[in-house]
Order: sequence, then C-alpha cells, then structure tokens
Amino acid sequence: MTVTKAETKAETSAVGAAAPKPAKLPRELDPRNPVERLGAFFDADSLELISNDDTSGMLAAVGRVNGAPAVAFCSDATVMGGAMGDEGCKVVVHAYERAVRDSVPIVGLWHSGGARLAEGVLSLHAVGQIFHAMTLASGRIPQISVVLGPAAGGAAYGPALTDVVILGPEGRIFVTGPDVVRSVTGEDVDMLRLGGPEPHGRRSGVVHVLADSEAHALHEAGRLVSLLGDQGVLDDSTVEDIDLAGSLPESMRRAYDVHPLVADLLDDDSGLELHGRWAPNITTTLGRLGGRTVGVIANNPLRLGGCLDSLSAEKAARFVRMCDAFGVPLVVIVDVPGYLPGVGQEWDGVVRRGAKLLHAFSEATVPRVTLVTRKAYGGAYIAMNSRSLGATRVFAWPGAEVAVMGAIAAVRILHRRRLAEVPVDVRTSVEAELAVEHERIAGGVERAVDIGVVDEVIEPTKSRSALAGAISAALRTPAIRGQHNNIPL
Amino acid sequence: MAGEIVAEMVANVLMVVAVEGATLETGDTVMILESMKMEIPVLTEHPGTLRELRVREGDVVQEGDILAIVG
Repeated sequence: MTVTKAETKAETSAVGAAAPKPAKLPRELDPRNPVERLGAFFDADSLELISNDDTSGMLAAVGRVNGAPAVAFCSDATVMGGAMGDEGCKVVVHAYERAVRDSVPIVGLWHSGGARLAEGVLSLHAVGQIFHAMTLASGRIPQISVVLGPAAGGAAYGPALTDVVILGPEGRIFVTGPDVVRSVTGEDVDMLRLGGPEPHGRRSGVVHVLADSEAHALHEAGRLVSLLGDQGVLDDSTVEDIDLAGSLPESMRRAYDVHPLVADLLDDDSGLELHGRWAPNITTTLGRLGGRTVGVIANNPLRLGGCLDSLSAEKAARFVRMCDAFGVPLVVIVDVPGYLPGVGQEWDGVVRRGAKLLHAFSEATVPRVTLVTRKAYGGAYIAMNSRSLGATRVFAWPGAEVAVMGAIAAVRILHRRRLAEVPVDVRTSVEAELAVEHERIAGGVERAVDIGVVDEVIEPTKSRSALAGAISAALRTPAIRGQHNNIPL
Repeated sequence: MAGEIVAEMVANVLMVVAVEGATLETGDTVMILESMKMEIPVLTEHPGTLRELRVREGDVVQEGDILAIVG
C-alpha cells in the first residue's frame, strides 16, 4: 500500500505536522487562516460555514462565486500543519454530500501535511473516505482543487482525483517529502524541485493551472466554477466574425503558435487554458463562445510541429471526458502532421495512450465540431474528432489537406520505381506533377467533401459564426452529458 | 537547466537566425528547425543574451540536444 506508507511518512517530513509548534501569530493574523481563505474565495458576504470552526484541521462552507452557488472546504494549516484526522476528513466528506445534493461545484483549498500520524490507521481510513467521496462525485459535479501550501500524501492524492488542480506559488505536491526521500534513497532534493510549479506544471501533468499569487489562484478557481457550473446560453447573434487566419503565417510549411487563434475564436478574454505547459503540442482551453462555455482543443504547430504524441493524446482525452461529463460542447481545431514517430514514443505507450483519445471522442455525447485549418494527416486525422468518430460537424478552410499523408510523401512511396528512373535534375518537377494528380484522386479537401468526411468548406472570416451555429443547432435542453466519471487518465 | 534551449525532437537545423551576443526578448526566434516536413521556429522562453550557439545550419539534432544557451 503505497499510499499508507506515503501518508505516514509525509506527515513527519512535509511540514513537521508530527511535532506541532504553537502558532507564532494569532490565527486571525495568520495568512493560513482558513476562514480568511474561504472568505477571499467566495463573493463578499456570501460565506456560510457548514462545519464547526474547531481544531479538526478542516473547515467547509457554502457561498457564491461570481453569483453562482458553490461549496468549498479548506485545510486549517494553523492546526498541526493542516494534517488530516478523522474529524477533519468527515468535514470534507460532508461537504461533498452537500455539493452533490445541491448539484453545485466543489472547491478544495489545500495546505496539509497529509494524514495525522497520532491517529494511526483511523486517519488513513478517514483520508480514504475522502478519496471515495471524490470518486463517487466524479463527473457529477465539477471538482476544483487549489493547492496553496505543501500538500503531501493524502493531501496530494485528494487534488489529483479532482477535475482541475490549481497551484499557488507556495503550493508543493508530493507523496513523500524531502526528509523521507533523503533518508530512504539518499537523494538530496528540496520541496520546490520535488513538487513545485516546474515539475507539476511542465513534467508530471498533475497541475492544470499555475498561479503567481494566492489571490490569483483563488480567482482562477472562481473562473472555473463559473465556466463549469454556470455555463450560460449560446446566443448566435452575439458571435461576431473576424478573420481567424489572421495569426497564421502565409507559408503552409511554417509552424506557428495556435494560442492567438484560440483567443480569437473565443469571446473576449474568456479563455482559461488547462495544462498550458505540459504536453504543449496540444492546447486545451475552457472559454465562452457566444456567451456559452465551450472546450477548445487545438494542435499547436509551434511545439513538436503540432504532432500528436503519447502525452498530448492523454491530455486531450482527459479534457474531452471532463467536458463531456459536464455537458460542455467541444470545438476541435485541427492542424496536425501526424503522430510523432520514433522508438521513444512507441516505448512511451503512444498506442495505449493514443487509444484513450480515440475512446474519449468516440463516446462523447456533447456537440463536438471540428475545423481543419491547414492539414489533417493519417491516424492523427482520425483522432482529432473526425467524422468517423462521430463529430457533430466537420468544417475545413479552403486549401486544407485531409489525407493519409502529404501528397509529395505519398507519391514518393506510390511511385518509388518510376521516380528512381527519371533523371535527378527533373525528379522534383515530376514529383510535383504526380502530387497534383494524387491530390486530385486521393487527397485535397474537395475529395474529403465528396466522400462526406468534411461537411463544408468555410472561410476563416466566417468560422466563428459557423462553429457557433453548428453547436447551437446540436444543443439540447437540458444539456446532454456523458454518463461517465472523469477518471484522472 | 536554466538558460539552455533544448531540441524537442529530431530535426534538421534549417536556419540560424540569431547571432551570438545578441540581446533576446521572450519569444524571439533563435533558429528554425525542420522536422515532420515543417519549419518550426525555436523561441526563447526568457529574455537574455545569446551566450552560445551549439549548432550550425545543416546539423541534425536529436531530442534533448542543447541548441543554444541564453543567459
């Protein structure tokens, strides 16, 4: 039982919870004061505690966030470093019962060394009950975690079970703290390197959003509560068309950053990117289109050429499943040269992890609309919400290529012998001629329209309204939601 | 390591844009790689001076190779 060992060790190692010292400051002045933290999270004067304000190590409250109701709980790091015992864990479980009953989002503010060592197995049992409550609520209500201080052992796995994890600048997430790591393996490592913004934002994928202050972290949590819990109504008439290709380079071969395109697609300043630094060759963004929450998935050619690979497929799959579970329609922006080839990817499980994306799109019941901007090749074409996986509607820009591979690469394989026989000095021009013919027969967006895998070729200047219209036509009241949970893939 | 710009994938160095000693802002293009039949700009993540270029045009770089050092 890894968790058992980890949590027992974490308490002594992470924040010194086993040997609590008297707080230096009165609680009212302590920046870790959970009442203050909950008050800062909820709208002014809307907070109402639903737990006793005692020494259990946890507080819970109901209130409003940007006007919408939500439940929140917060570690009390002024008591034993926020270590979780039986009573504190029950506060969290009750908060979950309340949030599920009211069908509202729940937000956890974490600052805890893990399970209380002095309570022994009782505290482990109690922490496990939190995990159980979180899992049963998964996919039913949005769950958001904000890690504001060290979160070790059980306090690490709690956030990891939720839909979105936000990390404040002082947030550190790890199973075992530096002292235990040092004593067991001899490795000398500090909390920052073990579980700070760099490792979890860029390498592990545990954290979805990095915040540069505690206030920023709480603000982003509030935006997520609004985006997932108060999704709004899509009003087509408010969707203004702009040239979405404005940020793209002229050369089809030149890579570019897709973020400006995603920002232009969404309503002004409404986008909130998840996993921005992890697997950056695909972007996953929540935002609003015509006032309604949508999820946008876009290949990012600037990173790895926009190839799909094992991590980006897994990242996108989890995002698709989260959006589907909460009834959030999807917009999929496709410019993908294929799957990243190589032994590293194969050994990293690109087949197993890539299959998750195929599965996630195929099972999704929300409206999901695809736009191919420049190219969609091979297996990656299928994976990016193609018609065959059940896309609601597939658009493409003029000149987009939808094919097994690029035309030149295809003719080099199909006409290998013939090309070998022509003189070297004219080979390029022969390749080009063959490529034109190949595109006419097998590739090109017109062919894709003919066989029905692309519904319509649209101009970049008409794309916002076309995407919004396609989603609007497919929306139902109440919103269709996938009947599944959101396992942290 | 801080300051090191590393190749994300196997690629050819198509063009080196910046020169050693240049002052770079975040997002400036250091060089352009060619991979997956695409031209992929390599951008700086932090401002600084381009201390060292480790590759030349025409080189083939492997994933993880250090391309340049900005400090």
